This record gives sequence, C-alpha cells and structure tokens, in this order.
Amino acid sequence: MKRIMGVDKVSKTFDRYAGIIFLLIGALFIVESRKISASSYGSNVGPDIFPIALGIVLILLSIRLLFETFKYSGKEKKKSKPDYKRFLIILAAAVLYVNLLESLGYVITTFLFLMVSFQVMERGGWLKTIMIAAAFSFGVYYLFVEVLQGSLPGFPI
Amino acid sequence: METIQFLINGFSVALQWQNLLFAFFGVLIGTAVGVLPGIGPMSGVALLIPITATLTSGLDAESAAASSIILLAGVYYGAMYGGSTTSILLNTPGESSSVVTALDGYQMAKQGRAGAALSIAAIGSFVAGIISLLGLALLAEPLSALALSFGPAEYFSLMLLGLCAVSGLAGKSITKALIMTVMGLLLATIGVDNVSGVSRFTYNFPNLYSGLEFLTVAVGLFALGEVFRTILDRDNEEGQVSKVGRILPTKQDLKDSSTPILRGSLLGFFIGVLPGAGATLASFFSYIAEKKLSKHPGKFGKGAIAGVAAPESANNGASGGAMIPLLTMGIPGSGTTAILMGALIMYNIQPGPLLFEDHPQVAWGLIASMFIGNVMLLALNMPLVKVFAKVIETPAKYLLPIIIAISIFGVYAVQFNTFDLMLLLACGVLGYYFTKYDYPVAPLVLALVLGPMIENNMRRALTASDGEFSIFVTSPVSLLFLIIGALWICIPLFLKWKGREVVINEEG
Repeated sequence: MKRIMGVDKVSKTFDRYAGIIFLLIGALFIVESRKISASSYGSNVGPDIFPIALGIVLILLSIRLLFETFKYSGKEKKKSKPDYKRFLIILAAAVLYVNLLESLGYVITTFLFLMVSFQVMERGGWLKTIMIAAAFSFGVYYLFVEVLQGSLPGFPI
Repeated sequence: METIQFLINGFSVALQWQNLLFAFFGVLIGTAVGVLPGIGPMSGVALLIPITATLTSGLDAESAAASSIILLAGVYYGAMYGGSTTSILLNTPGESSSVVTALDGYQMAKQGRAGAALSIAAIGSFVAGIISLLGLALLAEPLSALALSFGPAEYFSLMLLGLCAVSGLAGKSITKALIMTVMGLLLATIGVDNVSGVSRFTYNFPNLYSGLEFLTVAVGLFALGEVFRTILDRDNEEGQVSKVGRILPTKQDLKDSSTPILRGSLLGFFIGVLPGAGATLASFFSYIAEKKLSKHPGKFGKGAIAGVAAPESANNGASGGAMIPLLTMGIPGSGTTAILMGALIMYNIQPGPLLFEDHPQVAWGLIASMFIGNVMLLALNMPLVKVFAKVIETPAKYLLPIIIAISIFGVYAVQFNTFDLMLLLACGVLGYYFTKYDYPVAPLVLALVLGPMIENNMRRALTASDGEFSIFVTSPVSLLFLIIGALWICIPLFLKWKGREVVINEEG
C-alpha cells in the first residue's frame, strides 16, 4: 500500500531486540528438540532433526541481523507518534470481548465491543453507533445461527 | 483433446447454480476488498475462508471444496480489479499491485478521463484473465505429469526453491525475510508429529496438539495487522474522490491500449508463474517495458492510457499465472496462493500433481469458474464503477472495528475456542510490528503451510537413503532446484551490493 513508496522505517533498536529474541527462540527450539529424540524407532531420521536444523539456521540468521544493525546509518528518523491510546483501548476491548464471548454470548459481547470501538475511533454520533453495532451483532448471529445452522454462543441464561 | 473434455466437465461444475452464485459473490466481495483501503487480497481471502466453510457445510467434501475455492479465487482476482479503482480516483492504491496504475491513472482522472481509465483497466484485466486461463488449461496437464515423476528428494528441493524465491523478493532485507521463513517452518513443527506420533513443543497444552491453526495466524498477521496499523498511524485521512465522468473509452483509447493490454497480459502471466514474483512485480515490469517500447515515452506519467492498460492487465495475468504452480505442483508462489492452498487442505484436498487426477471436479471447476468470474467482473465493473467509487467513502471509524469483529467471528466459527482468538489478537499485534519494521509476513505464512510437507518429504527422502544427506545433491533434478533456489537469494543480494535498486514484491 502506501508504505511501499520507499519510506525508510528501519529502526536500529527494534532490529537489535528482534535479533536477540530470534536468537533465543532458535536456541530454545534446539534445546527443547533434544528432549524429544527418544522415540524414533526404525529410522535414524527422527522428529528432532528438522527443528534442530531450523534452530541452527535461525541462530545464524539472527547473528547476521545483529551484525547488519551495526551498519545502519546513525540517525533515526523522527516519525509522527503512533496513536497508542486509541489502539490500546481497542485492543483491551478486543481481549475482553474474546474472553467473555463464551460466557456472555455472541450478541451482547459483539454489540459492546463495537460500541466501544466506534466511540474510541471517533466520539459522538451515538444513535448511528448503536444502530450499526446492533445491526451487525444481531445480523451476524441471525444469519449464522438461524439461516446457516452454524453454532455460536447464544445468550446467558 | 482430453483437456477440452476436462474443461467441459469443469464448466458443468462451474455452471451449477450454487457455484455461479459463489463465483458472483466472490468477485463482488473481491472488488470491494480491492477498493477498500485497509484490506488487501490476502486478508480478504483469509477472512472469507471461515464464512465459506460454514456456507458449504451441507455439501459433500469435494463439492464443498470446489464451491469454496471458486469463491475464494474470485475474491483474489476480483481484488486485482478493484485495486485499480482507488489508484485512479484517489491516487491511493488499494493494493500494492496497483501502485503504478496511479501514476497515469490519476493524471487521467484529473483530466476528466477517469471513466475511460477505469473501463480500460477493466477490459485489460478481462483480457489478461482470459489469456492466463488459456495458459492454465494448456499447461496444467504437462506440468502435473512432470511433477508426478518427482520423488521426495525432488519435492523437498522444489519446496525449498519456492520458499527461497518468496524470501528473496519479499522485503527490503533478505535476512529478515529468511528469518520470517525459518520462524514459519519452526512454528509448523508445533503439534503432534505425523510421522512418529510424538508431540513436539506442546507442553501438555491440549490446544497445541493439532498445531497452530494456519487460518488464525494468517487472519491475525494480515487482516488484524493491517487494521492495527491504520488505527495506530492515523492513516485514514480522506482524499478527494475524482468524478468518474464518461465511462466508455473512445476508439482512440482502445487503439492505444490494445497492444499494451496484450503485452501486459503475457508478461504478467509468465511473471505470475514464477514463484515469489507476483502481481506487484508484474505491474512494475510491464509499466517499465511499455514506457521503453512507447513511441512517446514523454506521455507516461502525464495520463497515457497505455500506462493504465499495461500494469492492470499484468497484475491480473499474474494472479492467473500464480495458480499454475499451486494447482499443478502444490507449491504456492505467494502469500495469497498460500492461503488458497491452506483452504484446500482444510477440505482434505491436497493441491499438487494428483489434484487433476483425484479431484478433477475441483481443479477444472476452478479453472472454468475463473473464466465465468472474469466475464462477471467485466459485466459488473463497467456499469457499477460509480457504485464502487462510493464504497471508497466508507468511513474508517466504522470499517476498522467491523473488520476486527469479522476476524473474531470468522476464527471462532471454525475453531470454537478462546485460545485461537487470543492467538489471533497476538498475531495481529505481531503483524503490525513486523510490517512496520520491514519483516515481511507473507514468507512466514507460506512456510507455515509448506512446513509439514517439507519435513515429510525430507524425512522420506532421508529414510530411503539411510540418512545420507547427499541424496539431495546426487539427484540431478533436486540439485537443479537447489541451485536455482540459491541463485534466487544470491542475485538480489548481489544486485544490492552493486548498488542497484531491487524491485520487491509486497502484498497487502
């Protein structure tokens, strides 16, 4: 999309941390794979070889990534600050939504999630917000459960 | 002759009323996906898998697979159509494959020729769709016959080649692309190993026994990642939508664009067949080629209709060409085809050389439906261009939360558990950070789909050779694949080292 038009977003700090994390993941897979080798009968190609090999490749690539970060030019570009507040509220709402989905039922949780998110995106227009959120949550539930005979958590009893 | 018989059978599948309906909704939703900012073909296809799974639940496995793949493929090439609309009217490409279309398309719109640009894009896409279909029908049999002669060692190397090709072209940094590929392969090993029955990396966590669900990961990384990006970067400023104006192109327009359309279609088709290269590269190359071949290169960038016709034909040609390695060899060459492959596997249908023998209904039905879908797209797009132009104005404040809700609904409707929903949200957050810092997510999804098959073929080859790894280089075909794979990684590195610009293939 728009980002492909040559915006340099390389960030040294992020790549360093990412390099270290990928390195640790590679090491973790190797260590954990060595524990499963026991039961490979009849063949010398057990279930551990593939993950071990991949772990080694991942470690090598992470080291290369870490080396590359030293070559980045020093200045980091100032970007407009991402809108964390809006994002975190929506994410928190989504986490609550998926965890309450099974106990409170699809329609209620979906309606509440949409209400919160619409208002976080832009305040005001309550009537329209309620209408769209209600139409979506009831509409999807009705279509999926009644028309298509699918199954979704209904209403709390 | 046999091919024609198969094709006729394919049409009898594609012309069943429910499949016509599926193709229609596929291309309609696809066009909308292409027009809407924030969802690309990949997230569009991923989001629709759970919905098609429910829609087809009453049918037997094979017809269900045929119907849903018809719809999903319709979304894929429909999105290629729709992507041009925003490029031309708003100067903001809906898909990365329509970036070059904006160069001349928006200039045409400013001159009041938006309608002509849109209809030439539609005609070009149509011609390209038909040409790539002919190619697909012709190449399907010989290529799958070739692929049938491969043993596990050859298959292993071929899949490795596919992964190398996608990683080599996927992002600004090949290191990062390779890291994502290896991560995908590692994540694919989670779950019960289907050769030995041993569970790996599950830690007695029941949700992990069947492995990480590819659908959840794909929807999270692509659809949610993109939504989160739009929320965080406040990337929803409203542009001025140009007036569409007169829709029918003039005779001069048609004359100026007929050769570019043909050239673009052919170029796009062949680029699409190559793994790793896709619609984005095809549109870039055909634009450059057209500019070089043109008698008036100065007109490009100032509203030359050839500058719209060629890349729009090329990106559609490429989306048809990309079906060839998927259907005949079972090797997806791009993120979107990887998702299509995942969908087929969900129905227990393994794409690959046996597809045409074991499930001719699915394979030829799909090919025939692409023909019908292209006719529908042309019929839809010419009169409805003005309606789709209105879709652009859907306010982001409603669209983004609804995409989140659809993702959650889709994953829950197939998986029925909270674990997958949490995984979905986590993948969304990761997808945002990965894309923001140029870690391409398409190789990860591709590797996740191909992982189990790569591992199985590797172990089968090694068991046959008594653990000798030399089997991969002593078989000439396998060696050839490995060499091509290595070149695919090395040549872009070499070009970068020489200081050349390397065009990369980014999907949205």
